[in-house]
Amino acid sequence: MFPLKDAEMGAFTFFASALPHDVCGSNGLPLTPNSIKILGRFQFLKTMTHPRLCQYIDISRGKHERLVVVAEHYEKNLETLLREQKPISGLKILQIAYEVLQGLEYMNKHGMAHRALAPHNICMDREGHVKLAKFGLYHMTAHGLDVDFPIGYPSYLAPEVIAQGIGKPSDHTQSEKPVPSGPKSDVWSLGIILFELCVGRKLFQSLDISERLKLILTLGYVDDIMTVLAEEHGCLDIIKDLPENALTLLMKCLTFQPSKRPTAAELLCASLFSEMSPLYSPFCKPRSLFSPSLRCADLTLPEDINLLCKDEDTDYLAERSVEEVYYLWCLAGGDLEKELINKEIIRSKPPVCTLPNFLFEDGESFGQRRDRSSLFDDTTVTLSLCQLRNRLKDVPGEAFYPLLEDDQSNLPHSGSANELSAAATLPLIIRERDTEYQLNRIILFDRLLKAYPYKKNQIWKEARVDVPPLVRGMAWAALLGVEGAIQDRYDAIDKDTPIPTDRQIEVDIPRCHQYDELLSSPEGHAKFRCVLKAWVVSHPDLVYWQGLDSLCAPFLYLNFNNEALAYACMSAFIPKYLYNFFLKDNSHVIQEYLTVFSQMIAFHDPELSNHLNEIGFIPDLYAIPWFLTMFTHVFPLHKIFHLWDTLLLGNSSFPFCIGVAILQQLRDRLLANGFNECILLFSDLPEIDIERCVHESINLFCWTPKSATYRQHAQLSKHTTESNGGSRAASHISSDYQDLPKTDLAREPIRLIDLKSEVSPRISAEDLIDLCELTGSGHYKTPTKKTKSSKPKLLVVDIRNSEDFNRGHIPGSINIPFASAFTAEGDLVQGTATATLQSFKGRVIVIVGHMHHIAEFAAHLVKVGYPRVCILDGGINKMKPTGLLTVLSPQI
Amino acid sequence: MKPAKGKLCSMERKFVYEFQAGSRCLELTVPLLFPVRENPDHLHGRLVLLHNLPCFIEEDLKRALKQFIQEETIKDYDMEADSALEAVKCTEGSSEKLAQAWTEAYTKTTLEYARPEESSWDEDFADVYHDLIHSPASETLLNLEHNYFVSISELISERDVELKKLRERQAAEMNKVMQELGKTLTDQDINLVAAQHFESQQVLENKWANELKQVTTIQKQEYQEWVIKLHQDLKNPNITLSDEIIVQPSQLREPVDARGRIYEEQQQLEESFTIHLGAQLKTMHNLRLLRADMLDFCKHQRNRHSGMKLHRLQTALSLYSSSLCGLVLLVDNRINSYSGIKRDFATVCQECADFHFPQLQEQLEVVQQVVLYARAQSSRKWKLQQESVSRNEEEEEKSKNSDLNQSNMLPGEFYITRHSNLSEIHVVFHLCVDDNVRSGNMTARDPAIMGLRNILKVCCTHDITTITLPLLLVHAMSEEMTIPWCLKRAELVFKCVKGFMMEMASWDGGVSRTVQFLVPQCISEEMFYQLSNMLPQIFRVSSTLTLTSKR
Repeated sequence: MFPLKDAEMGAFTFFASALPHDVCGSNGLPLTPNSIKILGRFQFLKTMTHPRLCQYIDISRGKHERLVVVAEHYEKNLETLLREQKPISGLKILQIAYEVLQGLEYMNKHGMAHRALAPHNICMDREGHVKLAKFGLYHMTAHGLDVDFPIGYPSYLAPEVIAQGIGKPSDHTQSEKPVPSGPKSDVWSLGIILFELCVGRKLFQSLDISERLKLILTLGYVDDIMTVLAEEHGCLDIIKDLPENALTLLMKCLTFQPSKRPTAAELLCASLFSEMSPLYSPFCKPRSLFSPSLRCADLTLPEDINLLCKDEDTDYLAERSVEEVYYLWCLAGGDLEKELINKEIIRSKPPVCTLPNFLFEDGESFGQRRDRSSLFDDTTVTLSLCQLRNRLKDVPGEAFYPLLEDDQSNLPHSGSANELSAAATLPLIIRERDTEYQLNRIILFDRLLKAYPYKKNQIWKEARVDVPPLVRGMAWAALLGVEGAIQDRYDAIDKDTPIPTDRQIEVDIPRCHQYDELLSSPEGHAKFRCVLKAWVVSHPDLVYWQGLDSLCAPFLYLNFNNEALAYACMSAFIPKYLYNFFLKDNSHVIQEYLTVFSQMIAFHDPELSNHLNEIGFIPDLYAIPWFLTMFTHVFPLHKIFHLWDTLLLGNSSFPFCIGVAILQQLRDRLLANGFNECILLFSDLPEIDIERCVHESINLFCWTPKSATYRQHAQLSKHTTESNGGSRAASHISSDYQDLPKTDLAREPIRLIDLKSEVSPRISAEDLIDLCELTGSGHYKTPTKKTKSSKPKLLVVDIRNSEDFNRGHIPGSINIPFASAFTAEGDLVQGTATATLQSFKGRVIVIVGHMHHIAEFAAHLVKVGYPRVCILDGGINKMKPTGLLTVLSPQI
Repeated sequence: MKPAKGKLCSMERKFVYEFQAGSRCLELTVPLLFPVRENPDHLHGRLVLLHNLPCFIEEDLKRALKQFIQEETIKDYDMEADSALEAVKCTEGSSEKLAQAWTEAYTKTTLEYARPEESSWDEDFADVYHDLIHSPASETLLNLEHNYFVSISELISERDVELKKLRERQAAEMNKVMQELGKTLTDQDINLVAAQHFESQQVLENKWANELKQVTTIQKQEYQEWVIKLHQDLKNPNITLSDEIIVQPSQLREPVDARGRIYEEQQQLEESFTIHLGAQLKTMHNLRLLRADMLDFCKHQRNRHSGMKLHRLQTALSLYSSSLCGLVLLVDNRINSYSGIKRDFATVCQECADFHFPQLQEQLEVVQQVVLYARAQSSRKWKLQQESVSRNEEEEEKSKNSDLNQSNMLPGEFYITRHSNLSEIHVVFHLCVDDNVRSGNMTARDPAIMGLRNILKVCCTHDITTITLPLLLVHAMSEEMTIPWCLKRAELVFKCVKGFMMEMASWDGGVSRTVQFLVPQCISEEMFYQLSNMLPQIFRVSSTLTLTSKR
């Protein structure tokens, strides 16, 4: 989007027409409200970026089918020019005509017609260039079908538009679609407007609407429309004196027969604009992040770089894009409805005054007076930026142009930076509502994303603080490592040919996150269909499982106007977190996953695990939709966003921790209830505090040894080189266990049945060595606290008999021989070693010994409520070759 | 490629693209359905994939395809437009008709061309009142209302006393006369006396009714004038509120009645629940199960002065706001206030003058008119449909049957009255039910249930955020309503209301609401707790929030 510059933001409002009461769609589901349909179609308009068009920014749905549209706006328009009541020079006319036609031509290229062209919808910016406003109204209302009012203004309607009628069925029984107006009707409207500009007055002012329309229709019978119109308004002389070019243009525009009337594109090429056209360079859209061509291809720097930073008091805010400014305006307390109420555009009556008197059984109501406040008023209200500017007046200029050095510590910290770091400690919800904070974050991310993939590492670093909602779509794409010409790749996938999965997709989409306006709109459904089909078609080895739709939802929501990016993100996400989950036979993958999950429950919360196992409430009963959809099926979108902001930073084992964190929030209720109640509880999951859940899962993650979540069916390391190179490997959260280079000490795959039999997770010898810091200094002293802060302290319990133990053991380990460890009741036998064990309760306990006993021992410990118990994969034998085993010093 | 005439119907056209690959000249022919709905980029991708086209023609093909589609679409538009203009030329008077239709559309829907609004007294008064009640003047306003209320209730009690006296006198007289029966007087004489008595009672009642009406009308007029004046005074900063209105203590105390009420209140059982509805995005609602009389929500508690004013203030504050309170009253198919709960309700309405809306009787008259109009409309529409579709005799007969009582309501239909003088209610839905509500096998498709759904829908469209409804769909218990009957009915209504509430989220985007389920006074305590156990099972009651942090 363009920077705001000297533009303003304006809002106007209208009502979508109400649906007939109680009519179902062909699929048996309730009809989509018209306001949602409009909202869906509007999204495309946000991508219509052209210097001759007022940029559409946002649409919002109010109560009772009200819609408020926000767009770029200028106070000055042709209406104000006309009000001056003097004819305008021929050259100026030509310039206006040329610029309007440029806008129209761009719209036509995208298959749109304006239909509401009128002097007050042709705005002029400061430099006197034309900006078309309300050009999307006809498009977003499905050619006027979804609103009660006719689109367009009586004086400027083209004859064929009048002739085709309103096309609006008076009652809803006959749902005949109106005939859409073609792009040429705008050319006629332009003709009338130009005529008015030439003569300096408005046409048909003395006639009422029906006379006007009849007059326009009768123009088809006359030979010379221009003369007739001029005579009608007594300005024949002015018309006669017009320059040749202007006259030709008017004649061409005011051709009665649509087939003989030229299109905007044809007019632009006409000879009468031969002087005009060289003044304008053709517009090309600025390249987006993932375009195949060079983004810097057209970049030209001035000879002297200093020229760029010449003017001292530039309005920095105006250099930001319209979208960003609007977003900040909302954060700074902007309220669309309030602005419109203040300007008396919204005048709603108290609801008690508008109640109907009587209702039939089928819901048809009677006796309701027509509410005048529902009438269409197309006045655009300028949104004042004062409040926002006031809010941001203390933000220094540097904040708008942050330096992106890799080493941030060198930067001098200004006062506001300190303030920001203070703000960074506030809860996320508050940070997301803080204007200054968001301004800084958005600008920072914007610049970082512009430098993607070069600045990838820094994006990771910043994302760990938080992701500003406005740029979340792009930020996630960067975190997922999306690269390349995604649009071309997406276009090349066949999304139209029917495939067997279509039926299932068709069934699932109208049930997926439908509380959301965007995703429940027909436009949203169509996009859903395309992205899902594209994924299914392009992954022949995988299949569509129910749940893929939920998985697609957050990506589609964030990249609603960029299906290709949504598809690319989804394609990058699935192998990372859900590798092979969508195999036709995915049972072995899922079974392994769930088993590891139940081991994680036992690891972190033995009490809960014991209870759940006792009542037989196994993860298979509730956790499959959690993991298969990465929690998108269970949470509403706004919670998914916060959850995934963290999830995307973690590796593929992070979801386990989220799962455990959710269980922990429900802990009390689970512990108190039996099987049936638990099933009921999960069938309709209660509200989960997501921020707490995220914190908890990070905490759990830090306590979990990396190899504990090893899965045989996880994605094998494909790009080890990539993850090893650069500083990304430094962050152990993001790197996968599987990504690390394989050694002998790593974990080895075991059979599912064995895995299932073990209550506690295994960890690799490698992890053990790492955690005990066996290579060097004593393992309880942690002088290098900074780097190892997240590593848990642990206790190694050797359960071999004491002879074996004395022959060689891991330094610092205690010996509790398995044979004599437990009483018949399953309690621990008291002793010095067990006392040590007790004192370590709560830290990681690694059971070491011969393979066949350690799992049993661990299970016993879990039973008596020891958390964080794990076993050494391969037993003590794994440790033997390392030479790290020591013999007890003789003096003890 | 002959264009079909008339409508822009879909037709197939061939897109031909020629290109050179080495020395060979190739031709690609694609049949395209117009108007093209697919995204040309997708179409292009598919073509390349399907025909295995070389990559060097991709760009050119894309351009050619887009151009072809654009050109052909414009041709279609032109043809369509030309034929429309032609049609206007050919048919006489069609331009007249078109202009008419357009004019109507403009004047009906756009502010610019709409007829200027005649300012209505109601709405102006609404604005003024809303301003005042949200200002310091609200105290004065409520005091005034209360004083009016007191004078009305004095009048009513005076009436009651006089009526009582009359009845006592008549009873005594009748007794005397009865003793004379067979001696000096015949049956006819007795009948005559009885008729006389009845007549004099009627006369007295009418006299009082008239007086009441007169007083309320005067009060209303005074009140409205006073409110407007107060509003004007307040606008003028120089004038301070001079005449504070002080609450006159009501002279009459009704000890018997008061005790009765206190007793009743002890009997009122109540349980509240908070629920979350929705699969992913959840909306919070409040539910309440009450054992109380429907009209308790309408009656002003005369004895508890402070409490009553509190209720008044709450109700007055929200009268013109967007959080209204509604009540569902079950009525028979006649629109009047002669019998049963309708009569009781009318009596309650009279207890206090309505300063904002017409009196109940007037509102009912309007409703009767509207019902007649609605019936006429629907039968006309039905006839129109019959004309277009083949005639079906059976259905015709059915329509004749429904023609019988044009002014009566059918089960599931309801009318709405508005009130400003009830203690906790602004809007009353009078839902028509028949004897079917007593039967044990009511289903979710029953008209009464559909009526409930429509009521909830009106709640959505008109910002009624609190709704009170009879859980068992009856106002009083009778013999056949056994415990299993009650449980079955309660389950049905709970489940249906839950379904409707979930549906509501899609109508209004999830507004938090309060739904109060009422069970009749005469239900046993045990029964009540059975019902209150059932509620959390059907609605998923949210867990209590624990504020103590773990660990």
